[in-house]
Amino acid sequence: MPRVEINTPAPDFSLPDFRGRLVRLSDFRGQSPIVLVFNRGFQ
Amino acid sequence: MAQLRRDHDQFVRRGAQIIVIGAEDAAAFADYWKANRLPFVGLPDPKHSVLKLYGQQVNLFRMGRMPAQVVVDRAGVARFIHYGHSMEDIPANSEILEILDSLEPA
Repeated sequence: MPRVEINTPAPDFSLPDFRGRLVRLSDFRGQSPIVLVFNRGFQ
Repeated sequence: MAQLRRDHDQFVRRGAQIIVIGAEDAAAFADYWKANRLPFVGLPDPKHSVLKLYGQQVNLFRMGRMPAQVVVDRAGVARFIHYGHSMEDIPANSEILEILDSLEPA
């Protein structure tokens, strides 16, 4: 299982949010820091 | 998720965006977001593409994926990573806010 290493570029990804709007991590570059939260149990 | 919502304005004050990613589908996300009035971006990842990319751990014994948090700075570099070993193994907001405070300003 790959793991992200600290102080290395975070892997880019794009996924539609639950409203259908495409979200790409790299779109936030230069704009805002991101807190990625991986979770489960949203039902 | 409730603790993140409670302190959401403190994340906003630091210019940070919270993106929540989970294996549930869009309908489950929509219901949960509506029921809990969550202000974050919610990304359903039923194919586990991003979950795998980030190495979110699967705990077979507990039958599920463990929580993980990653702080990415404005340059796109991971500055904080926490892989949880149980569903309760989640860093305090204060810890994440401290990391955000240590990042280069915009």
